Amino acid sequence: MTNDKTIINQVHHVENPVLEVHDLTVSYDKKPVLWDVDLTLPYGKLIGIVGPNGAGKSTLIKSVMGLTPNSSGYVKLFDQSLREARGKISYVPQRESVDWDFPASVLDVVLMGRYGKLGLFRRPRKADKDIAMDSLRKVGMEAYEKRQISQLSGGQQQRVFLARALAQQADLYFMDEPFAGVDAATEKAIISLLREMSAKGKTVIVVHHDLQSVTQYFDWVILLNMRLVASGPVEKVFTTELLQETYGGKLTLLSDVGDLIRQQQFPNREKTPDSKSG
Amino acid sequence: MDSFFEFFSFSDPNIRYVVIGSLLLTSSSAIVGTFTFLKKKALVGDAVAHAVLPGVCLSFILSGEKSPIILIIGAFLTGWLSLVLIDIITAKSKLKEDTAIGLILSVFFGIGIFMLTIIQKSGNASQTGLDQFLFGKAASLVGFDLIVFAVIAVILIVSVWLFFKELTLLAFDEEFAVTLGLPVRAIELLLTTLTVLAVVVGIQAVGVVLMAAMLITPAAAARFWTHNITTMIWLAAIFGSLSGLAGAYISYIAPSMPTGPWIVVVISTIAFISFFLAPGRGILYRVKTQRRIKKQINDENILKALYHLGEEGKKFYEKRTLQEILSKRKFEPQALKSGLKRLRSDGYLKNENGYWSFTRAGKRKGQRTVKLHRLWELYLTQYLRIAPDHVHDDADTIEHILTPELEARLEKLLNYPKVDPHQSEIPYG
Repeated sequence: MTNDKTIINQVHHVENPVLEVHDLTVSYDKKPVLWDVDLTLPYGKLIGIVGPNGAGKSTLIKSVMGLTPNSSGYVKLFDQSLREARGKISYVPQRESVDWDFPASVLDVVLMGRYGKLGLFRRPRKADKDIAMDSLRKVGMEAYEKRQISQLSGGQQQRVFLARALAQQADLYFMDEPFAGVDAATEKAIISLLREMSAKGKTVIVVHHDLQSVTQYFDWVILLNMRLVASGPVEKVFTTELLQETYGGKLTLLSDVGDLIRQQQFPNREKTPDSKSG
Repeated sequence: MDSFFEFFSFSDPNIRYVVIGSLLLTSSSAIVGTFTFLKKKALVGDAVAHAVLPGVCLSFILSGEKSPIILIIGAFLTGWLSLVLIDIITAKSKLKEDTAIGLILSVFFGIGIFMLTIIQKSGNASQTGLDQFLFGKAASLVGFDLIVFAVIAVILIVSVWLFFKELTLLAFDEEFAVTLGLPVRAIELLLTTLTVLAVVVGIQAVGVVLMAAMLITPAAAARFWTHNITTMIWLAAIFGSLSGLAGAYISYIAPSMPTGPWIVVVISTIAFISFFLAPGRGILYRVKTQRRIKKQINDENILKALYHLGEEGKKFYEKRTLQEILSKRKFEPQALKSGLKRLRSDGYLKNENGYWSFTRAGKRKGQRTVKLHRLWELYLTQYLRIAPDHVHDDADTIEHILTPELEARLEKLLNYPKVDPHQSEIPYG
């Protein structure tokens, strides 16, 4: 089923990956929170990122999207740099990351998904509005088009963010906890939408924290706890043993070294003349 | 009064210029300020306003004249410098942004006042009027000055119009803008430049000290009236213009009076009125809503009491005395009286010789309240496993709030139960 090339330390690598993360270390305030991640991911799968609180799940996708300033190693999407691939990728942030008491309607927010394609100066046209409405229909929110976003429930906010991502018409989606704080009906609706997307060849990468539903939801899973524990098809990687390794307590030594780097203002990698970053 | 008509007929060309000038200054800073407000950078605007003063003074000292362009350049430079310093302090030190803003604001303003004093003591004849930068003077904007500031104001308005989409997205969700590949840093830089320029032109009208009010207050007032950002910008511009007009008028009838405080008084009044009166967000509206809810609860409780009376012996349309109603539930005498009156005029109750009885609609409404109460009690015991003797108080509130849609869901979920946890019958139909 998968075109596994090699398996190194429980990390299944694929040929011609949709995403390649090469030796990625990410720091916040100088402290490394994610160490030396190497992975490759296949096209067209529904992929879950799983791990305990503070494992660096959101950090991983934020870093791939270029949202964390301090990282070393490199990332390739569709065998291109992030800059070149921007138009083909989409990001759904955590719901709480914005102030929902902003003067905008549901349609206004979904139309923001078109801004990347529109470019500067141009206003959304009819075609963009059609795409936005179509996206709202897919998440079952078409009746809320004119609703003020401050009046939405948590589940509805999440659907609006999803619709905004759909309006981008991307091929690769990163979603940060799309199931957090939503009702069961919304969760069901979202997962069937994601399945539909992956059936159409889109790749969807989801930060997830409910272990119960992992095997049911995802084709491929990434286990993370400050470092990559495993990455591969669910049936091969989602094992008791690897889960224990992921959730079996923090690596305190790793964390302490991170603190030391921050306190002493060390660089997390030495700069060599030919080193590249980003 | 004569001066009022003379001013507002705009027949004197000088008055026309002053009016146009103050309208452009105040509306353009209100428009740019809308984004400063939405980005929650109100204090940054205040810091820039104060930091502009040393720039103005320095360029006067260096050039020895009051040419608007030179003064603007000076103001622009120190305004910008203050923002850069705030950013550096926040990023590179342990100090947080509020501290950095406080530091920069006071240091720059202190230096500015210091320079201003030196200039005033120097005896340079052309310095008169430089202190207008402190509290503003709309009427002093004439001739070439007016043209320069009007041009900047127009540039501000046009830039906001051109970059409306990007500025909005950045204010709502900056990270998403980054992931779209938009030139976020450039847009950020643009907004900063616009803010500094808005301050530079705005201080002509209100002065350095009160500039933050001109930048933020119109937007804050506008926010109360609308949920649409375009409408909000228009409203902010209109509110700003109104206060600008007032400022121009004051400086016309009382030339020795600084205009800034007057403008700020007017715009603050508008903001306070919005705060109290605006539909939806205003205080008055909320108080009214709460009153309405209180009345609704009171009236439904009366109907419920009458329904409970009717349940005894199934005599729902029997005539009841006040004492009978009070035996079922304690009401404040005044609340009971006004409630009964309302219920009669709404057609839920009839009153004959001091006796109260249900109409059909009244019985139906009372029955629904009782039904919702009992359904909720049952829901709490079955789904939340709460002891039957603990569910009454919750149900007493929830019975008033459930919508017909939730009512239907509750009935279906509980499968149309016959009795509540206390074996009282749940009435349908």
